[in-house]
Amino acid sequence: MAHLIQVGAGSGGMPVLDMVCRDARITRVTLIEPDVYKPHNVERHLFPPSAVGELKAVLAEDWLKERRPELAVHTLVCDLLAPEQQAAIEQAAAEADLGVCAADNEPAKYHWDALMRRHGKPWTLGEVLSGGIGGFVHWFAPGGPCYGCVASYLQRSIEVERPKAPDYSQPGGAVAEITIPASKAAIETIASLHSLITLQMEDCRLQMVRNDPSQICDLQSSISNRLGFTSLLLTLQRAANVFDEAFRPYRFRIPRAADCLICRPGPTPSSSEELDVALDQALARLGDA
Amino acid sequence: MGLLDSEAGRRRLLTVEIPVIERYNEGRDPEFRIRVTRVGGGLLLRYALKPGHNVYQLETRLVSSYPTLPPETRVITPLKHCPHLLEGQTMCLWRQGSMRTNSRWDPARFTCVFAIQAAWRWLACYEIWHETGEWPLPEAK
Repeated sequence: MAHLIQVGAGSGGMPVLDMVCRDARITRVTLIEPDVYKPHNVERHLFPPSAVGELKAVLAEDWLKERRPELAVHTLVCDLLAPEQQAAIEQAAAEADLGVCAADNEPAKYHWDALMRRHGKPWTLGEVLSGGIGGFVHWFAPGGPCYGCVASYLQRSIEVERPKAPDYSQPGGAVAEITIPASKAAIETIASLHSLITLQMEDCRLQMVRNDPSQICDLQSSISNRLGFTSLLLTLQRAANVFDEAFRPYRFRIPRAADCLICRPGPTPSSSEELDVALDQALARLGDA
Repeated sequence: MGLLDSEAGRRRLLTVEIPVIERYNEGRDPEFRIRVTRVGGGLLLRYALKPGHNVYQLETRLVSSYPTLPPETRVITPLKHCPHLLEGQTMCLWRQGSMRTNSRWDPARFTCVFAIQAAWRWLACYEIWHETGEWPLPEAK
């Protein structure tokens, strides 16, 4: 019995959602996804061309319900960072047992990381590299490194795949810079790894909850011992000056950085009101009228 | 979700950014101190730098998605058009995917004062370029 919260049901997120939700232990899903299914999505997505124009969240819900009618699915059709939806997102995160991040932009990843840490939930993240030359899967648990620690440690010099939508509004307009998109095969390979790692993380969580629910904070060491890494990179192609070999795994054991500006503990006011007052006073000292 | 309208953003300001700004200002000539004002969901830092012969007025904007996205720094003092200067006299400082640790914005390690130090270095390069026609950091080309 587990409640999964996932952000993103794009070409990378949807296969993860599908594969993870085939597991009978997942009984409830909350999906955050604002986008509409567009013609350019068809090539790399699970949904058919006839679904173009519909909300991805609705399509994902239908997909899951067709395969698992008993699964409780709740969709939030909004951007993860939408201010007016934060209360609903916070509540869903508080009620969830584990998270999956399939967002394609850095602000969303950092926001998700903060959300999961605030509620003490374990989560996973998959990233396909531009051109489909490989991909990362990372997992995070309370007490472990945050997304900032991981991104800073890896100092990735390779761009993460971010599909660009054609500009339908200006058919005769400027042509966008040409990039090589990842293939569906590359996306699904990384999505499969992402799903496996998410399910192994769930094994550890459930085992821990059954043994002693109060020990959930030791999840970090339990998963770490089981997997032996915190981030996995799998190369899928040889790429000049980037990867010497295709299909080579690299395992990273990334520690929590003591000086990380994102997750280091620090003395801060305990309530939101005290925080506002302290911030107002600090900004006034620096000249803010 | 802006820097000022999310709790995480306000905590970052209070525990990371404001202390480093106060440390930067400590003992500094008032003309060169950082002054901060709220603009929209973010903050605007106004300050002056003197990398060599000249004093430059600058603004660094901590945009609403800061620190995930890097700060934007522009020079208010009119400059001669030069390399690495974008529209509105905005400095070209951070490159996504850069191999160089200092030209890739890292929200886990950098603060707004690091961005100001980067602006100082940029202006020092500008003064050399102004005299010689050569931008002295070859890796920035």
